[in-house]
Amino acid sequence: VSGQPRSLLERARGVLDRAAGVYRGTPAGDRLRELAARLDEPLRVAVAGRVKAGKSTLLNALVGERLAPTDAGECTRIVTWYRDGHTYQVTAHPVTGEPRQLRFQREDGAIEIDLAGLAPAEVDHLDVTWPSQALRTATMVDTPGIGSLSADASRRSWELLAAGDEEAPADAVLYLMRHLHSNDLEFLRAFHDTEVSQPNPVNAIGVLSRADEIGVGRLDSMASARRIAARMATDPSVRRVVQTVVPVAGLLAETAATLTEAETAQLRTIAALPVREADALLLSADRFGQLLPELGLTSLEREQLLGRFGLFGVRLASTLLRRQVATTATELAGHLTERSGITDLREVLGSLFFERRDVLKSRSALLALDALTRTEPLPGSGPVAAELEEIIASAHPFHELRVLSAMRAGWVTGKPEVLADLEHLIGGAGNATHLRLRLAAGADKPELAAAAAEALARWQRRAENPLTNHELMVAARVAIRSCEGILAELGGHR
Amino acid sequence: MITVASQPAGATGAPASAPAPDPVPLAVAAVELGLRACAAYDRPDLAARLGAAKRSLADPVVHVVVVGEFKQGKSSLVNALVGATICPVDDDIATAVPTYVRHGPEPAAELLFDEDPPRREPIAVEDVRGWVVERAPTADLSERRGPAAGSAAEPARVAGVEVRIPRKLLAGGLVLVDTPGVGGLGSAHAAASLAAASMADALVFVTDASQELTRGELDFLRQAREMCGTVACALTKTDFYPYWRKIRELDTAHLRRERLALPVLPVSSMLRSRAVAANDPGLNAESGFAELVRFLSEQVGGGVAGRLAGHAADEVAAVCRQLEAQFEAERAALADPSAAQQVVAQLTAVKDRVEALKAAAARWSQTLTDGVTDLSSDIDHDLRGRIRTVIQEADDAIEATDPADTWSEMEAWLEARVAHELLANYTLLRDRATGLSEEVGEHFRAASGEVLSRLAVPNPTPMLAGAQVEHKLELDKMKVGKQAMVALKSAYGGALMFVMLGAMTGISLGPLGLGIGLVMGRKGLRDEKKRQRTLRQNQARNAVRRYCDEVSFVMGKHSRDTLRKIQRELRDHYTGLAEELNRSNAAALTSAAESVKRTQAEREKRLKDIDAELTRLRKLRQDATAVAG
Repeated sequence: VSGQPRSLLERARGVLDRAAGVYRGTPAGDRLRELAARLDEPLRVAVAGRVKAGKSTLLNALVGERLAPTDAGECTRIVTWYRDGHTYQVTAHPVTGEPRQLRFQREDGAIEIDLAGLAPAEVDHLDVTWPSQALRTATMVDTPGIGSLSADASRRSWELLAAGDEEAPADAVLYLMRHLHSNDLEFLRAFHDTEVSQPNPVNAIGVLSRADEIGVGRLDSMASARRIAARMATDPSVRRVVQTVVPVAGLLAETAATLTEAETAQLRTIAALPVREADALLLSADRFGQLLPELGLTSLEREQLLGRFGLFGVRLASTLLRRQVATTATELAGHLTERSGITDLREVLGSLFFERRDVLKSRSALLALDALTRTEPLPGSGPVAAELEEIIASAHPFHELRVLSAMRAGWVTGKPEVLADLEHLIGGAGNATHLRLRLAAGADKPELAAAAAEALARWQRRAENPLTNHELMVAARVAIRSCEGILAELGGHR
Repeated sequence: MITVASQPAGATGAPASAPAPDPVPLAVAAVELGLRACAAYDRPDLAARLGAAKRSLADPVVHVVVVGEFKQGKSSLVNALVGATICPVDDDIATAVPTYVRHGPEPAAELLFDEDPPRREPIAVEDVRGWVVERAPTADLSERRGPAAGSAAEPARVAGVEVRIPRKLLAGGLVLVDTPGVGGLGSAHAAASLAAASMADALVFVTDASQELTRGELDFLRQAREMCGTVACALTKTDFYPYWRKIRELDTAHLRRERLALPVLPVSSMLRSRAVAANDPGLNAESGFAELVRFLSEQVGGGVAGRLAGHAADEVAAVCRQLEAQFEAERAALADPSAAQQVVAQLTAVKDRVEALKAAAARWSQTLTDGVTDLSSDIDHDLRGRIRTVIQEADDAIEATDPADTWSEMEAWLEARVAHELLANYTLLRDRATGLSEEVGEHFRAASGEVLSRLAVPNPTPMLAGAQVEHKLELDKMKVGKQAMVALKSAYGGALMFVMLGAMTGISLGPLGLGIGLVMGRKGLRDEKKRQRTLRQNQARNAVRRYCDEVSFVMGKHSRDTLRKIQRELRDHYTGLAEELNRSNAAALTSAAESVKRTQAEREKRLKDIDAELTRLRKLRQDATAVAG
């Protein structure tokens, strides 16, 4: 970006180095080293939400492997980190005492960990290292649900996400909601931080999870879920805390990612039935377990099918096979993935989190440093604080985030189309240039440059218009900087 | 005390032991006989009392409140129960006002307005949906805001919708109340549902089989259990969730751990609706609704019918007791002419006692007046204390946050918090008023029992008079607390709580300016932010106080009115009873005085008549006592 020789990440690293010098030899020194190391690690994405929202299932779907154990009852009771590594390894970090390695086995795909006599309440968090392409992009954190009957588990995930002024362990949050619920908002409130912006929808995406259950298994359930998600995403109280809401049928996505030939064959048997018989068979879960014994599926197989697909998944998959929309296991997996909504979520994750991971990571680190310099000032920490302040106050990406959250909070007012334009331009719908300019993904350079120049002129006019209100005018200046940045990147001229 | 009732053993013919058949026809028969006796002895005052009992017996109303989290299938459950789409079901939009589904010869619907006096307005059955669901499809948090601020001429708030349809299930007086699911169990709406449940006969808690009970749900259930005697959990959507059996096990275990002995009934509304449409008994059995229907009609409906029958039989027994006393006095005078003068003298003395019983100086009346005064001030004090705590908490919360960010959550929190405090305050009022009512009844019974036994003392063949009076006390005790409940029901019904919602005076906590941060130094930004924040905090604190003031004012008035109403109700009730006693005594006095003038032959004839009457009355009383159990 013009006028700024060093990237945000470099500046963050610089100020962390200086701070490490000041705090060398104190306990804070170790923390600062960790903070600096975090800048080079993958983005940390926490999966949070109410109990039984489908957090572990979604995590598995995103990783593309069944790692986190899932169950009908409450299952995840310990905060678990899944990160990429060379070896398969599970480490427990007890609340008191040294970390220790744990034995584990893979049962039915999911990792089964032997806590070696530790009670879940004694474990602060588990660390699972797993060689995985997906985990190379992001370290995933699975959390126990809030509203859990074991209050301890709830409290721990609260601590993880609402770390107060301390370093926030996660850079970004996928917040799962099963349908809007007052408790959820209470939870989201915990994300509000106090400095860079307030409240902060910049690092949270809402996921309307278990979306297939919204229509209680009707084939048009996902359409219903999309409508609800869209409605929620425009709700002011949701907009204040998450960037957008995406519907995902986690179970379907997880199963699609790990679909086997055997399962496809079993589904084919159902698809081969006349429609009426198939409908009668799939009327209820109990019926599917018992009816048509001549079908050639054992009750165990049926139970497993239901467990893997859910009633909606079986209905959908058998319909797809019957109509020959999909014929092979690969095709079926593709269709199920598509319909589960996980593809959309991946795209949103990419544009909102991964493409601005440097900003998010720097933000986490700088926030933590800011807290440190204020709570534990040392001789020499003053200049560090000043530099920090300079970065936070001047870095353009932070300006964008600030305007974005201000818009989301309803602080910036104006015509809806103007606000939509502004939101896109500052990266509210994604960081990619074409998204900012609201162009198709394939738009070429001249096209992008033309649109950027046009946007620049448009916003300059708005900034100079005496009738523009103060807030919008300030926001307009940020938009102008964004346009200039885009043009500089495209190598264009003004 | 029941043992006393079995004097001339078996004389009643009614089964004395537990599994009595249906008490209702027995009670109806007893009431009919009692009415005939009242007519024969020219006691319209007693007849009026029996008439009231007869009416409530003929038209029982059994309220069952259906409560649960957002989107658990409450409306579907109600629809499936009655086999018709009454309550709108939608993937997204939630029920926003309570819907009362009851029996009627023709499908009909009415809007209920909470005005003074309550108003009803008929609407087309097809239009129910438009009134019941949330106005605009917005999130629950913004939904609460109530009427749009812009339209000044907003029509009166709809407090509920009543739908009548012809259904056998409902014919017994069952009224299903579908409650709003907006806001979740922690919201003010939930408190309102609880208040409604405290007046209802049963509560059906709806939770779906997608997951085990959550903390919030269990907390709610515990509260519900305290407010309402009969509670069941319906585990819905069992057709869709393969693991519903496991969820049921988990739920049952959670309930056991919380010491909540509630039945968990797995149901599938979808299967039931299909079964009703296709008239498929097999499918109906699969739906699990048979259990729920049995619960509603036998445990809930049967319980209410039994209670009403018991109450009616009670009234019959009480009426008999008075008539008997009257005849026994006359009989004493007739049987021994030498003692007649003494009987007359005694009855005259009793007359003074009865007069005293009616007077304001009577002990029960004093107890009532003093009790209501004390209660009024205690309730008021309790409310003030509670509201003060809420304000304190709100202040602390405001201190810790910037209202610009948290105000909407704050509003929801405040409404819910206040609603729950009101509920607690109201529970206190209910319990204390019931206690007072019992105390007043105790005093009245003590005094009137004395009168009654005095009336009967000269009886030459005393029929365990003392013991009977005592038995009568037992019977009375059962219905005494009820007296206060009647008054409470007419005063409350939970409607108040629903009205409270949306009373929050909308304040605008708009931001005073954004991105000064972009043009100001960081220090300046911090100071400016702080200044604005302080401003907003003050504004928020004031808004909280205004709201709490308003709520205290309305609630305080409501409590005082309710107590006044209870006082009036109790006073009228016991004054009426005293008046009845007075008439009984006067009748006895007249006949005793007359008996002196009769000839020997007349006397003997009259004695025979009286003995016959007494035998009939005693039999009726015994029958009634047996029904009342």
